[in-house]
Amino acid sequence: MFKLDRKSLVSISLIAAVSVGLTACFGEATPGAVSFSNGSVSHTYANGKAVIDGGVTYPVVANKTSVYFVNPDTEKGGYTYGRTPTKNELDAWSKSVTPYAPPPEGSGSVSDGSDIYDAKCVMCHGDFGSGGGGYPALAKGNAYKGQKETLTHQRGITGDEGPIRVFGTYWPQASTLWWYIKEGMPHPAPKSLTDDEVYALVAYTLNINEMKIDGQLVDDDYVLDREKFLKIVMPNKDGFVPKIDGPQGPDNARAFFSDPKNIGAQTVANRCMKDCIKGENKLTRIKIETKDFLPPISVARDLPKQEGKADSNAVAMKHYEDSCKMCHGADGMGAPVVGKKKQWAPYLAKGIKAVYKNGINGINGMPPKGGTDLSDKDFKAVVDYMVSASK
Amino acid sequence: MNDKNSQKNQESLSNDVEYKLDRRDFFRKSAALSATALAGTSIFAGTQAMADDPAIMNDVPWGIKLGDPVTKNRYGMPSEYEHNNTRRNAKLLSSGNWQASIAMCPIHESEGILTPNGLFFSRAHGGVAHVNPNEFRLMIHGLVEKPLVLTLDQLKRYPSVSRIHFIECPANGGPEWRGPQFNSIQFAKGMMSCAEWTGVYIKTILKDLGLKPEALWMLAEGSDNSEMGRTVPIDKVLDDAMLVWGQNGEALRPEQGYPVRLLLPGWEGNMCVKWLKRLEFSNEPFYAKEETAKYTALKPDGKAVQHFYANEVNSVITSPCPEKPWTDLKVGDLVEIEGLAWSGNGTITGVDITFDGCKNWIQADLKGLILPKAWTRFSFMYKYEGKPLVLGSRAMDDAGRMQPTIAQEVAVMGVESVYHRNSIATWEVTANGEVNNVQVRS
Repeated sequence: MFKLDRKSLVSISLIAAVSVGLTACFGEATPGAVSFSNGSVSHTYANGKAVIDGGVTYPVVANKTSVYFVNPDTEKGGYTYGRTPTKNELDAWSKSVTPYAPPPEGSGSVSDGSDIYDAKCVMCHGDFGSGGGGYPALAKGNAYKGQKETLTHQRGITGDEGPIRVFGTYWPQASTLWWYIKEGMPHPAPKSLTDDEVYALVAYTLNINEMKIDGQLVDDDYVLDREKFLKIVMPNKDGFVPKIDGPQGPDNARAFFSDPKNIGAQTVANRCMKDCIKGENKLTRIKIETKDFLPPISVARDLPKQEGKADSNAVAMKHYEDSCKMCHGADGMGAPVVGKKKQWAPYLAKGIKAVYKNGINGINGMPPKGGTDLSDKDFKAVVDYMVSASK
Repeated sequence: MNDKNSQKNQESLSNDVEYKLDRRDFFRKSAALSATALAGTSIFAGTQAMADDPAIMNDVPWGIKLGDPVTKNRYGMPSEYEHNNTRRNAKLLSSGNWQASIAMCPIHESEGILTPNGLFFSRAHGGVAHVNPNEFRLMIHGLVEKPLVLTLDQLKRYPSVSRIHFIECPANGGPEWRGPQFNSIQFAKGMMSCAEWTGVYIKTILKDLGLKPEALWMLAEGSDNSEMGRTVPIDKVLDDAMLVWGQNGEALRPEQGYPVRLLLPGWEGNMCVKWLKRLEFSNEPFYAKEETAKYTALKPDGKAVQHFYANEVNSVITSPCPEKPWTDLKVGDLVEIEGLAWSGNGTITGVDITFDGCKNWIQADLKGLILPKAWTRFSFMYKYEGKPLVLGSRAMDDAGRMQPTIAQEVAVMGVESVYHRNSIATWEVTANGEVNNVQVRS
């Protein structure tokens, strides 16, 4: 029923080509077209516009969409569930910050931002936003230069350097940064920053990206407020396609995705069956194999190894590797490094109980229990492991 | 059957290889088999010399005692022997910690087109949230005449629909733009799974809320750590977008957004916002973090594709694969080549497979249910010859799209896109049946 031969595939694509703008139902008996027993399929919505992602939709015909039966009485509306939110509830949850919904009033300086950054951010994002431990970098030199010079880099094609995709070089809108810091940062303790602290961190992020506002460099003495924030123009503002702003936005997306050439897609009209590659085909094998898989790959059907009374030190070590090493495994993250006795000395001088307590409750950049959900007992075992490994 | 085979033979590039048994072969071989069986020779010859199999000869331990009472495992678990059929992780695919990371689905062990809930791939940006369903509220607001707040029970009062759809992270295969990296199908293609989802169409709810004509976009926002949000065009909202609470017959798992997630059939998994909190309608897009900083595909001209909605037509051979090689086969064995095809643009209409690294193609059969924006199984019977092959598959959909070659995709998208890599995937089968991840890049 569903089988297509080459001839019918070509005719489908022809139908597809002419059907944009009108609803095409590939009926059972359309000669040369796919015999689609699954029901109606259309390249356009009921309003006549092409499907926005370049694909098809399945209009309800005879109480079926595709193979699924539907109860038409469910589609008529008339539901009375729920209630109207109060004004305060609406305000409480309408916290989007976008190019069209500016952030609240407030201000913060680069200098304050730097202090907050060192206390709450550096352990993941590294010194001056350089990144580390897999966490995203926030800056890689001058944003304007990076945007202009690196976004066309293609590793292995135009050299060994990749594009720099940090906030300054890549993001199209500053509103995204404000919104994300406010709702999602710091990662282990989101929604804990005041609006002024967010302005300060945004100012600091602009500073390390060497950015300007209204022609003025965001230098170490800069104080950012809402008015200045709204004047930020991101270097890569026009670096994205399709254009989604304004009343034409969705139609721009529609036009963009309807053309397979924009995204390297192919159509069935180009289906080649024989001698599709002239001469030798070029086979690329794995050069550097990634295999740090957890658990290791196996398809054996056997009983799991009895962990039994696993060595508690080994368990603590695993927790350390999984959850603590990002900050405690390398210099520059603001946390005492495991294995470096001197770095631990000032903490241990306060007594192990203080170390437990600060670790469990969190202090400065250290999130409560390192962001884990370990029990107090298990967490203390991890602390013991880290301390004993640093003697 | 005969027509199809003759067409395949025409299209087959290596006519010297007999890939499929035709009908005449079938009768000839059955006749030969019954003749030997009758004569009591060859097929059982030599078996006298073989040792008896203890698995047959001995009583098995589970057969000579009582089993578990039915009161044990009130929520059932897989056999202990299946412990290797599990999600897996790799540090490489994490942004610093295991909270901003992904767990890959063991698609080499997947049977049929539904992924068990415990094996469904899992991606989070700030950890898996554990939402108290009694404190769940969904707010629908913005450019609607009547904003609405629903509790979970109220949401589930709406008439439900159940649909089978895959969800795929658009970074599936993303680490391999510059070349193969994982000798594993689980890591090369496991950022996806497929389930039957139960929920309500958003358009059903909107019927009573008075969507304003200037509404072009909908923000979907989660209640999790980072309030993960994405902008969705109204076209999708009014087409097949759903709010789902059911997954394969039970409540969503926390990893899939319990108690309610957005489902945009066929579109980027990241857009199917989990632990859902609110839907805000607007006349302008929202520029949320995951639709600008991430989930944009940078092309060689320095421009990045944003709002890259659909996971395009794609396929992979799941048997054989690096985890499930052919090392146990004897020359002459008939073996099923099997795989998964899927398209976020529509329904799979056909899959071709290649034995010689994309030079020549032959049509495979589809099998089982063939549903829009769902995993679709394909199948091809092959007589194993013990010789090296480069196996690959190429799927087509009813939107008229077909998987590109790597060269075709890279020519447009370059190698820095990260997302939406759907070019043809190939496995090298060595002479002894081992299977390696390779790419045909010419």
